[in-house]
Amino acid sequence: MKSLEIRNLQKTYFDPYAGTKVTAVQDVSLDIREGEFVSVVGPSGCGKTTILNMVAGFLPATGGEIRVGGRPVKGPGADRGVVFQSFALFPWKTVLDNVGFGPKMRGVPKAERDRIAREYLALAGLSHAADRYPNELSGGMQQRVGVVRALANDPDVLLMDEPFASVDAQTRMTLQEELTRIWQEKQHTVLFITHDVGEAVFLADRVVVLSKGRVMRDIPVTLPRPRVWDEVTEDEDFKRLSAEVLHMVRAA
Amino acid sequence: MATAELGAARLGPSRAMRRVVGAVTFLLPLLCLFLLWPVVTTAFDVNPRVFPGVGMVWAALVESVRDGSLFAHIGASLGRVLVGTALGILVAVPLGIAMGVSSGISTFLTPLFRFFSVLAGIAWIPIATLWFGYGFGAITFVIFNAVFFIVTYNTLLGVSAIPMRLRHAAASLGAGRRAMLTEVLLPGALPNIVTGIRTGLGFAWRGLIAAEMIATNVGLGYMLFVARDFYRTEVIVLGMIVIGALWLLIDRLLLAPLERATIERWGLVTRS
Repeated sequence: MKSLEIRNLQKTYFDPYAGTKVTAVQDVSLDIREGEFVSVVGPSGCGKTTILNMVAGFLPATGGEIRVGGRPVKGPGADRGVVFQSFALFPWKTVLDNVGFGPKMRGVPKAERDRIAREYLALAGLSHAADRYPNELSGGMQQRVGVVRALANDPDVLLMDEPFASVDAQTRMTLQEELTRIWQEKQHTVLFITHDVGEAVFLADRVVVLSKGRVMRDIPVTLPRPRVWDEVTEDEDFKRLSAEVLHMVRAA
Repeated sequence: MATAELGAARLGPSRAMRRVVGAVTFLLPLLCLFLLWPVVTTAFDVNPRVFPGVGMVWAALVESVRDGSLFAHIGASLGRVLVGTALGILVAVPLGIAMGVSSGISTFLTPLFRFFSVLAGIAWIPIATLWFGYGFGAITFVIFNAVFFIVTYNTLLGVSAIPMRLRHAAASLGAGRRAMLTEVLLPGALPNIVTGIRTGLGFAWRGLIAAEMIATNVGLGYMLFVARDFYRTEVIVLGMIVIGALWLLIDRLLLAPLERATIERWGLVTRS
């Protein structure tokens, strides 16, 4: 587990259709402590996914700095695990081999990485699906695999890009609860991108509201853990925080 | 989950049934043609120099099997196809992947590929015989050509159809350049590569027969061409049947299942 520091991050690119320079991220600074869960929320076009792509190393930044555990980020790397909105499982690999992919890249022998993969699959209640191919699974199950695949590689920082946006509402709540449970067990440093205000508050230690490529507010969430929806929905703090964040996002 | 298993159980027998129905509907027209043949040749009393009777072709088959010449021709043709195809795939797949990964390389090479894919196959026979002389080299080159351009193009298509997020996922799980190639690009492009091999081999098979008529002294194409000089229509027709049947066997029993296996097993690559 390591900290994530984002300093004066900036991204501008040339839009060939409009023929102008577009600023996606204007000036974002954000620190995430070791083992802290931070949600970044904002309306579409606020630059939140661009930030994640730069932290992951998929996109070069045009300004500023990103550090993981003090070391500057250069390109994609196994120190930052990514969970994608569209799952991004390898369709030609079984669930077991998808989850064992990271350890395989580290040179872990087959028997040992299968053991690791099975351990993480059990954590998400997926032991029965180990030998299946991703296209045989429902969306919710595919994303469980996506999450444990990132976790099984034991990253310093976990980056999640609207991971539950493409599953149905019931499954989404289950996945959110599972994620908080697993997070409490493993205590990863998490950067979680979402446009869903309730989700952002439910999961995080801090909610960062983004607007037009800038950090608008940074709000601590002190709800007790473990969190389950049945209790949290009734919680006065949760209601107040959600309303507050929603108000800011809509004004953004 | 339970419903998925039920679904699979329900699909099981009906799938086998579909295979049988498929085979029957495929073979039935061929059988009709075969039955019609003796009827027509006797009813119109066709001169064997124009078209042979079934009996004559059967006799030619028995004779060529007995003296071993049929197997010599088939062996020579298949050997050339095997070598030409293997070489074609060996060169085409790395090149196609390089083109798929680098837009610079693919932009530069694509017009060349457009041009040469038109020429692929038999247009190369004359110059191939000048380069390699008559025989194995020239014919294998023609087959190589037919396979090479189509497989390269399909590999390129396959690589560029791999969603960027899969490459990102691999990179963020620690995949280096080599693992990216063996774990993502190759398996991701494989269904397209297999389709390319199937299409390319179809062209190669036609090119093979044409090339063997001109550039060799053994092989199925040569068998047809020489028989013509002696007015042996029964050998010509036997050769034609063997060429067609052999291709159908290769295509239906080898290539089509291979293509199905890669595509069905993984679901469509673009789906997840």
